[in-house]
Amino acid sequence: MIRYGVDVGSTTAKIVSLTPELTYRVTESRNWETLLEGIPANEIASTGYFRHKIPHKIAATEITTAIYGVKEYLNDPEVIVDIGGQDTKVTDVRRNNFIVNDKCSAGTGAFLEFIAHYFGLKVTDLSKIHHKAAHTININHTCSVFALSEVVSHLVDGHTIEDLIASIHQAFAERIAQMIPEAEKIVLIGGTAQNRGITISLEEILKQEIHTPPNPQIINALGALRYGEEKEE
Amino acid sequence: MKTLGITALVPPEIVFACGFKPFDLNNIVPTSTTRPKNKLCAWTAIWREQIMNGELDLDSLVVVAGGDCHNALVDGQRAAEKIPAFYLFYPFDGNKEYLKSQFERLSLFLGGITDPGIMKTVKSVKENLMKLDQLRSQGVISSELGFQYLISGCDLQGDPTAFKEELSRIPRERGGDLASMHRVALIGVPPIHHDFHREAERLGLHIVFDEMPFEFIRHTGKNINELAESYADYTFARDLKYRFDFLKEELGKRRIDAIIHCTQFACHHVLEDGMLREHLQCPTLTVHSDLPGPVPEQLKLRIEAFSELLWRK
Ligand code: SF4
Repeated sequence: MIRYGVDVGSTTAKIVSLTPELTYRVTESRNWETLLEGIPANEIASTGYFRHKIPHKIAATEITTAIYGVKEYLNDPEVIVDIGGQDTKVTDVRRNNFIVNDKCSAGTGAFLEFIAHYFGLKVTDLSKIHHKAAHTININHTCSVFALSEVVSHLVDGHTIEDLIASIHQAFAERIAQMIPEAEKIVLIGGTAQNRGITISLEEILKQEIHTPPNPQIINALGALRYGEEKEE
Repeated sequence: MKTLGITALVPPEIVFACGFKPFDLNNIVPTSTTRPKNKLCAWTAIWREQIMNGELDLDSLVVVAGGDCHNALVDGQRAAEKIPAFYLFYPFDGNKEYLKSQFERLSLFLGGITDPGIMKTVKSVKENLMKLDQLRSQGVISSELGFQYLISGCDLQGDPTAFKEELSRIPRERGGDLASMHRVALIGVPPIHHDFHREAERLGLHIVFDEMPFEFIRHTGKNINELAESYADYTFARDLKYRFDFLKEELGKRRIDAIIHCTQFACHHVLEDGMLREHLQCPTLTVHSDLPGPVPEQLKLRIEAFSELLWRK
């Protein structure tokens, strides 16, 4: 019987169970085995890049599990935006359509890691810093590497780190916004969705509310669990 | 027998009748490890590179210029520095007289028709390929096995009689599991990944239509007049509405559940995607490929997700 949903992505691994209250654990992907200690494969529904590699009974892609996971919190989501470590997936639930951006790091979690690393910050601090910004500057480059050199030149011109972080969030959100079809109910999931700076920027660009479920980073693991339960019936 | 390198759709009826053996240059690409310099599309750049390096044993080359692709035309002109080349132009408006004159010029380039009777043989091989295409659509033959032969409809592997023999030996053992899969049409260019059909089938998609190979097999004739009449409908050369209307009818006959639109990096077919979706109104996965080789992991994820979403319908 399926009891666990496990999502091992490019950066982090998550395990979720509902017994009946939601419990979860998160670790780095390279340590995924520690999450599964003592759990038999036939209790696991897996998702993420490593879905076929880890022990499992049922596996599904993140595109499917995201739909199941989001539905735990929101009825009839129209568009799901999943910002992962190495890619961003936008699923139009109404049309069964999706696009995956994995050719370029600029709209993925890797880009924010890269920027945080440059400033000697933790990626989890970016949101706090964003809120201290006085104003934003246009970052014109869409490539991570060129965007960084642009940021450096603004730093030289005397702009504050706070303003620059907020500007980077703005540029990041603009890139993601280009992938999103028109919809009323847009949901943002994935670890990056915990960064309020990104959600606020996206809301400003799209001029509408963006829904973020609690614990957005475990939605795919939760969805895997629900998907697994359904398939087992 | 001299060998003629061909790209896209060059009537093998004429090539054989002029005493040449056709060799579709694109068929070497999916398994090629050549990494060409100065490339836009790998399909054309790889054969261009191999011709420039003298790796292919060809006597002449025919590049489909009008009605195919400008990348092919440029790479073809580069290759023409090494071997004699002819540029074949299909009419955008389907003008049969114009196409007949193009085919006559092609015959002259190849030294004239010496064996007109062979056209009848080629026609009968293509009729067998049409039957094979039907069997695949009925689930008697796997996507991969069918594709392997349909894609050879452009050059009949250089020998119509031997190819016909081979076709008669294809095992017809599939069934059952294919019937429970989604029925998918591959639109656009053939996938540049050599295991695409196998992977799609493994992930629950039975490909029952391949647009380009279907063009290879459905046009034929016993003389230049009949050939011009038939090949003038080559959909890739015509306006998009003509092509989409044709596809709509064909996809309807095959009871298609979904479309995979195959495009290449730096190919104009990418621009057609939105129009194709609007016109055909069918769940569509668009694939952008670049270099040949096995299906990359990122693409497997897309195919698997697409297959899962189709079950949600
Ligand atoms: S894939 Fe596109 S660019 Fe490449 S050869 Fe075919 S038509 Fe030309």
